[in-house]
Amino acid sequence: MSKRKSPQELGGYLKFKRWLAGDLDLLEDVTEDAGPAVAPESADRLPARDSALESRRRASEEVYGPEVWPQSHTPGYAQAWRDRIALQKGTGDAQAVLQAQEKSLRFFRAVYKIMAVLLCGAIILVFLWTTVHLPPFGSPDNPANNEVPARYIRHGVEETGATNFVTGMILDYRAFDTFGESCVLFIASCCVQVLLRVDACDGKSAARTRIQQENDRLFEPKNDGILQQTARLLVPLILIFGVYIILNGHLSPGGGFSGGAVLGSGLILYLNAFGFAKTERFFNERIYRRITLCALTFYCLAKSYSFFTGANHLESGIPLGTPGAILSSGLILPLNICVGLVVMGTMYSFYTLFRKGGM
Amino acid sequence: MEWVRYFLAGILLLLGLFLEILAVFGVNKFRKALNRIHAAAIGDTLGILFVFLGCMVLRGFSMDSLKLFLVIAFFWLASPVSGHMISRLEAMTNENLGEIAVVHLDNEGKQEEKDHGSV
Repeated sequence: MSKRKSPQELGGYLKFKRWLAGDLDLLEDVTEDAGPAVAPESADRLPARDSALESRRRASEEVYGPEVWPQSHTPGYAQAWRDRIALQKGTGDAQAVLQAQEKSLRFFRAVYKIMAVLLCGAIILVFLWTTVHLPPFGSPDNPANNEVPARYIRHGVEETGATNFVTGMILDYRAFDTFGESCVLFIASCCVQVLLRVDACDGKSAARTRIQQENDRLFEPKNDGILQQTARLLVPLILIFGVYIILNGHLSPGGGFSGGAVLGSGLILYLNAFGFAKTERFFNERIYRRITLCALTFYCLAKSYSFFTGANHLESGIPLGTPGAILSSGLILPLNICVGLVVMGTMYSFYTLFRKGGM
Repeated sequence: MEWVRYFLAGILLLLGLFLEILAVFGVNKFRKALNRIHAAAIGDTLGILFVFLGCMVLRGFSMDSLKLFLVIAFFWLASPVSGHMISRLEAMTNENLGEIAVVHLDNEGKQEEKDHGSV
């Protein structure tokens, strides 16, 4: 470590190249020294760690080549830690520096606590003060009760057929806004895929499996009996509840977004309980892609049709039905289903991407 | 009769809120994950039970009470299991817990393998 130049002495491009090669830590001087957290006895454990690391490094080289394995994981690491620990135990000079750091840190923590309490108190005061000045709930003189909601309440049911005004609003009057929101969800899941997706392995799957098994995922609870029994009971209930929220969206509070979130969490619970192999029988990446594509395309086409006819004063030909019946309110029910499917897929794919980098 | 009901509901609500505050205090006071799970579980089960029982007493026999009862049932099913999963992960990954026997059970409840939480 001592023979290396400090990062400040190097040129920018050189620094970048050495960082790519892995033998320069740009944050070396900036980050907090992790040394004091380690108890001196743990130096005895390090050789065992070395041998385990060595086997993992060999497995890594088989798959990714020698460059990828980080320098800090090589066997010399243990020696570096021993040096560092010896420094901490050692001379009075280092002790004094450490004590000064500790003192300033303690002062910072005290100030931090006081400021945090003051800030919380200030925010609470502001909120309470605002609450006192709010207009009374439900009063007809409130500024929100102007001609806009009056118009929607008077004509909303006959124009959209939905007894739930909120759904009638977001899926009829402002449907393109909701279409944009669904697309934002889809784009967000695409971006997460770009960032987190792990590519499929080519050929050397044995070594790759070995790496995965030595990973932290090994410690993840698998096939937990208690969770599985609970999931057997809860997953059907959750899924039915999600479907109910989506299908009843134009009659009662609910709709595609909330119902899709409930469906997605039910799928995630099932995945947690029974693992990827069983979930992929009915929901894998191909199905997810098809569902999202079909839902977004149908939404776009249906709403384009209804806006085209509406803007040109044409008869749209979509029956509105009797308000209050489950098959009513024209396009709102299928649009709710589309939004629900997109939200469900997005939630589920986020979870799988963060967990193993792919569906 | 109304007064008795309000009084009862108030006592139940206050008891539930006390348990919730206890849970929040414990979560912030304890330093180890398992202790914190223990504290949080109080609020997730008993605290929620008393708060919603208070609300049910306030509403009397109605659809709202039935929904509140379903919420209680859901919480009592889901929250102990989540606590169990978190504590199991903690016991398997934390090296400084000391000797804790972790028993793995497979689907039929047979003992699959046995290892120890500390490495």
